[in-house]
Amino acid sequence: MAVKGLDIFKLSPKTNCKECGSPTCMAFCMKVAQGAVPIEQCPHMSDEAKALLSEATAPAMKTIKIGAGDAEITLGGETVLYRHDKTFVSKNVFAVPVCTCMDDAAVDAKLESLKKIDYERIGEREFVESIYVHGEGDKIVDLAKKAAATGRVVIVETTDVDAAKAAIDAIKDTKPVLCGATKDNFAAMNEIATAAGIALGVCGDSIDDIYDTIKALEDAGNKNLIINVTGADVKETLKNAVFCRRGAIKDSDKSLGYPSIVNLSRLAKGDLHLQTAFASLFTLKYGSIIVMEDMTMAEALPLYGLRQNIYTDPQKPMKVEPGIYPINGAGPDDPCILTVDFALTYFLVSGEIERSKVPVNLLITDASGMSVLTAWAAGKFSSSTVKKFFDEFDIASKINNRTLILPGKVAVMKGEIADKLPEWNVVVGTREAVEIVKYLRDGEYVKAAEAAAASKADAPKAEAKVVDENAPLDFERIAASIPEIKKVDMGVTYKTRNVDSQKFITIGERIHCISPTIKAAFDNWDPEPILKRAAEQIAAGATYLDVNIGPAESNGPELMTWAVKLLQENFNNVPLALDTANKKAIEAGIKVYNRTNGKPIVNSADAGSRIDNINLAAANDAIVIALCSADGIAKDNEERMMHCHKMLDLGMSLGMESDDLWFDPLFLVVKGMQDKQMDVLNAIKMFADEGLKSTGGLSNNSNGAPKEVRPIMDSTLVAMCMMQGLTSAIVNPCDKRLMETIKSADIFKNNELYSDSYLDM
Amino acid sequence: MAFEAKLQAFNSKVNAVTLGTGDKAITIGGQNVMPFYTFDAAIENPQKVGVEISDLGMEMCTVDGLKDFYAGCNTVVDMAKKAETIEGASFICLHLESADPNGADTSVEDCVKLAKDVADAISMPLVVMGCKNVDKDAEIFNKVSEALEGKNILVLSAREENYKTVGASAGLAYGQKVGAESAVDINLAKQLNTMLSQLGVNEQAIVMNAGSAAAGYGYEYVASTLDRIRLAALTQGDAQLAMPIITPVSTETYGVKESIMPESEMPEWGSMEERAIEMEITTAAAALTGGADAVILRHPESIKTIAAMIAALN
Repeated sequence: MAVKGLDIFKLSPKTNCKECGSPTCMAFCMKVAQGAVPIEQCPHMSDEAKALLSEATAPAMKTIKIGAGDAEITLGGETVLYRHDKTFVSKNVFAVPVCTCMDDAAVDAKLESLKKIDYERIGEREFVESIYVHGEGDKIVDLAKKAAATGRVVIVETTDVDAAKAAIDAIKDTKPVLCGATKDNFAAMNEIATAAGIALGVCGDSIDDIYDTIKALEDAGNKNLIINVTGADVKETLKNAVFCRRGAIKDSDKSLGYPSIVNLSRLAKGDLHLQTAFASLFTLKYGSIIVMEDMTMAEALPLYGLRQNIYTDPQKPMKVEPGIYPINGAGPDDPCILTVDFALTYFLVSGEIERSKVPVNLLITDASGMSVLTAWAAGKFSSSTVKKFFDEFDIASKINNRTLILPGKVAVMKGEIADKLPEWNVVVGTREAVEIVKYLRDGEYVKAAEAAAASKADAPKAEAKVVDENAPLDFERIAASIPEIKKVDMGVTYKTRNVDSQKFITIGERIHCISPTIKAAFDNWDPEPILKRAAEQIAAGATYLDVNIGPAESNGPELMTWAVKLLQENFNNVPLALDTANKKAIEAGIKVYNRTNGKPIVNSADAGSRIDNINLAAANDAIVIALCSADGIAKDNEERMMHCHKMLDLGMSLGMESDDLWFDPLFLVVKGMQDKQMDVLNAIKMFADEGLKSTGGLSNNSNGAPKEVRPIMDSTLVAMCMMQGLTSAIVNPCDKRLMETIKSADIFKNNELYSDSYLDM
Repeated sequence: MAFEAKLQAFNSKVNAVTLGTGDKAITIGGQNVMPFYTFDAAIENPQKVGVEISDLGMEMCTVDGLKDFYAGCNTVVDMAKKAETIEGASFICLHLESADPNGADTSVEDCVKLAKDVADAISMPLVVMGCKNVDKDAEIFNKVSEALEGKNILVLSAREENYKTVGASAGLAYGQKVGAESAVDINLAKQLNTMLSQLGVNEQAIVMNAGSAAAGYGYEYVASTLDRIRLAALTQGDAQLAMPIITPVSTETYGVKESIMPESEMPEWGSMEERAIEMEITTAAAALTGGADAVILRHPESIKTIAAMIAALN
């Protein structure tokens, strides 16, 4: 059972000496409880307490390493029974047996046949990682040597102690597994395994026998074990596998917390199809090493695919490597289709191209494993990233054909990509993968590419603009280039704000280029729609307004300068959050920003590729929203706090006040991540406990929920979050229920003095 | 300290649903433990395997083993009868894929006639699978349910877009069993079951199709959705997720390249038929391990194998 931080705290010296590296004993104990640091890091903890806690806080299932050097494999270390609870960690290994009962030729043939199974699937080498050597007598020594010579991890299974010793001695440098400790021979086997420093497999006629042997081995000091759960039949084997994993993880019996071996060659009795069915079962249900009588390509393809699926982290998208993927025998003279590296996108798109039978080069660009639209919105799939990809992979010299087909969903990028890749004829493809077959067969893209080429020929050759991305901004030129700021009386004024107020800060999210109206307004420098949305949000009580101008790669600085001046000059210097992936745009916006009602907010930085935005905020005395993630959502609060502290350290080292870093735990969608909602709430509490400010896109929680339900979910969540210490949120201020909830919570939190008409304030 | 097994049988159960009539009727669901966990408590109704028969007839037979097995069958009805002889088969799934308006657009009347002929010719329970066009399926299920009243068939499936029509006809008017199909998403699955129940369809007449994918092709979403549905039904007693689950496997696996890339184009992969069988087996075994109470397969060898797996674990 997991130990609580407070229980550890009771045993701690409570001196806050900081020698462990944590600011307080409490903080240290919390980290120990999470397994983030070992208890031994405290020099003053009593030995008694250490022994007690080290056992109690040890992981439920041990991590066991087998094999040496490049062939080393990590097994076990699992923390959950179902992958959606967190993730499975150590993928299962497939092994194929050779036996002393086989003649040399048969052994050689079998080992040779394994070489045929060796291929790559989504960045992972798929092959039979291990050889299961079993039998009796001297012959097993040569067999073990032969198996070891293949470079794969050898598992030696025998109950014959002398044979075991000789075989292990011969190949001990390869760190094999010795499988065969039983209730009768475990003492001798333990000596061999311990002397060689290798994992010992425990066997027995029943789970009771196995358990007794494990206990005896543990008493002898050996915890480098693997459990052979193979029973008399598949039914008993599943039972053993489940009892071990469940006993370790759910019932905290650490003596069951070891990886398992399942020997299917004994269970499927020569029926290789049945063996595949069992292999699928044990891939899902707790097999660590699965021994198969044989491994053919027909078996490997689905089993390795299944394994790869099951062992992906549910919170980290599966990615494919960026590069050129020729399909249907495509060569340099065939057209290119561009998409992102999210594995599902890749499978859908490549599958449809295959079905079309049209030779196409599929270009996969790095988009952090996001889908097309998400990546575009996050600035991970833009004309710049595409240009970078073309340069890095030298596409232009590898492909002669100049037709480049974009995903229909990002048709907006066409112009910018055409500018950055002037040699290419950029064509907008289909919005959905299923339309690709028809699209390619009809050859629509050929005409479109011809048209693109023709329009380029007609257009006067523009001087190739040399843009130095590091050049300092010319603010005068920018100021001169934007349209005159139009003053419109919208009948709403922004009330001058006390910047020291402790009241909850709402950042209105409605000026966002994902809205077609706003996007068109930015495209055409049309002030009206932007002012209209600003007025609505201010009237509804928004503290800050977020201004999202999209990736704005070509004119970001001009656009942001215009937007900031437009909004602040019309609305009494309303404070703003500047929201774009274009850093120059943020810099330009801050240059013209008026701070009367609060510092500008940089939206946003993270602990990964966007950490630079903290430097940007520091250099411009701005607030920064700091997303507690690197690439992808943090898997737990330990990771969230690690990102938080990394960004906090950076900000402080750059001279920022900690109050100017607003940490965003990343609100998650209930429909899909319901079981992680409490993590987010607890993260907010952790920020608050450290005296840090926090914010986030709170309404993300109710994404996809019915319109009438969303305000209820959002307002309930905001109340819970404010209880945890949330200081701000990016919301739709026009949601009356939400705003009323926030005002009420501010009353209870004593941030605002009560009066009967507090809701009208 | 000796080993002490802690058993985990739950108070809640998966609903037991009966398909078909007479001696060959089958019941799926009814268990109060995770799939194959017979050591926690006995499982009354082992999972069942069904045979997919396409209304495209022999066109469905993309590999030699299927062609050989159905050799001599002149009609889809012949094929369905032959399918009943497959070792391990418990029901027949007539897949009306030619009804797709974007395909052959077979008329509703022809679909009904075929379904009736098949139902009359076989004694095993019948599952009727539509063409995935929600409007056409709604019409087909309505007429087929009417024509086969009393046969206790299962229609696959009602979806968010057409559940009212399908639920009202198949479920309410003609007393058939209704499949509830949602994309691979536990929240959508629960919502659809709830809506069908609110419509008046008896909870005991609903079978879920919680989505499917071939092994290696985003199967992780299927695996976790099945796990979560079963855990919700058993540990939380969620009545709107307690329906048994049917997972069409062959319709997914015969679309991926492992099953359709000829050996001539991929010699290092070996026999295409063998690949198709292994893909079907791997995916079906995974679906059953996750929580499917019935799977629908195509190849006689896969059907025999998966039935043997179920038998070995029960």
